[in-house]
Amino acid sequence: MDIDDLIKKIQPYFSELKAEDFMSSPVVTIREDQKASEAKELLRTRRISGLPVADKEGKLKGIISIEDIIHALENNMLDSDISELMTKNVVCVTKNEKIMDVFKKFEMYGYGRFPVVDENKKVIGIVTKYDLMIALLVKLSILYVHDTRREQFVGVEIYRSIPKNVKIVREEFEFQIDYRDISMAGTGASELKKFLISKNFPPKFVKRIAIATYEAETNVVIHSNSTGRIKAYIEPEFVEVRVNDNGKGIENIELAMKEGFSTAPDYVREYGFGAGMGLTNMKKCADRMIILSSKGNGVLVEMHFWRHEDEN
Amino acid sequence: MKIEELKDIGFEMVTGGEGEINHGYACDLLSEVMGRAKPDTVWLTVQSHVNIIAVAAITGIRAIILCNDHLFDEETVQRAKKEKIALFKTSLNTFEACGKIYQKGIR
Repeated sequence: MDIDDLIKKIQPYFSELKAEDFMSSPVVTIREDQKASEAKELLRTRRISGLPVADKEGKLKGIISIEDIIHALENNMLDSDISELMTKNVVCVTKNEKIMDVFKKFEMYGYGRFPVVDENKKVIGIVTKYDLMIALLVKLSILYVHDTRREQFVGVEIYRSIPKNVKIVREEFEFQIDYRDISMAGTGASELKKFLISKNFPPKFVKRIAIATYEAETNVVIHSNSTGRIKAYIEPEFVEVRVNDNGKGIENIELAMKEGFSTAPDYVREYGFGAGMGLTNMKKCADRMIILSSKGNGVLVEMHFWRHEDEN
Repeated sequence: MKIEELKDIGFEMVTGGEGEINHGYACDLLSEVMGRAKPDTVWLTVQSHVNIIAVAAITGIRAIILCNDHLFDEETVQRAKKEKIALFKTSLNTFEACGKIYQKGIR
């Protein structure tokens, strides 16, 4: 089956999705009288690839992307106003536009992102191909995403100075989860906690990571009936934890995310597990969480933790 | 309060631990405890299996009081010693045990 057939087949399933349903919002914007250097900082600290430019009323004036910033760097224009560097005739999406029309715009223009506007041309969100893909996977209920990157938590000075997309590839921590023995559940998370403390991460930050990891590890033991693995990667202000298993998978992630929903067997509940709080706890602790799963294909949980200002 | 002071108000010490107790929490659902208990807490529960030690270690719980005359598994005691988490037991139910600690000013 080629891709056009596939799209035709799945289209009815998604056709009612509107831009405002899958856009990223709230959106970080910049004013046209701000400097290119400020845009550069925003893109870097938020780990995003483009910024809509708005006037004082929030109305769309243009868009500025990483490519524009690179251009500014090459031409020594970081002190210039955004208005000199931005793309002015910006193609945008209105909030009620259907997903297939948005899809066509990506095809037609080849841009990486489109601002989303309301009736008054006010910027209310942004869509990237990534948002589009996420929307489809979420609708199929094989993916769940929780993301706080656009909220006001990034304030740590050292974090700001980390260059974008530089990732330490080396794996720092690994633990095999023994699913056959429920009494072992939590061992990996305890080990990870000790490891992070030994790397001098502050206790408050470590606790958040350990709790989320404990819940993910316990889920592998209780639900997957398969082997699992915890991996962690560290940077000075950032920790990534991945927990995956090869088990039966989650049939409906949206349902699984509901607080209090649980499929845990009775003997497990007697131990005080299976209260349907695990995923809720993980979401509360992680700044960004992605769950990828479908029936029969195991579960992959990826969690990102940034050190908050009050965690030093 | 000091962990040893729990002995003085009638709880039977199974194994000792380290540090001070500033807060208390009572619950038998592990996720609730992890999500809500503060560090330096004494935790009152009827769960006696070894997983409670992992929960305590991660949450920063210093002492666990097992209520209603339940007995700790041997593995739980061994792990608690390793993690330096104090274990106590009592014939009181959770509510009564909480009352005693509450009277000592622990919140």
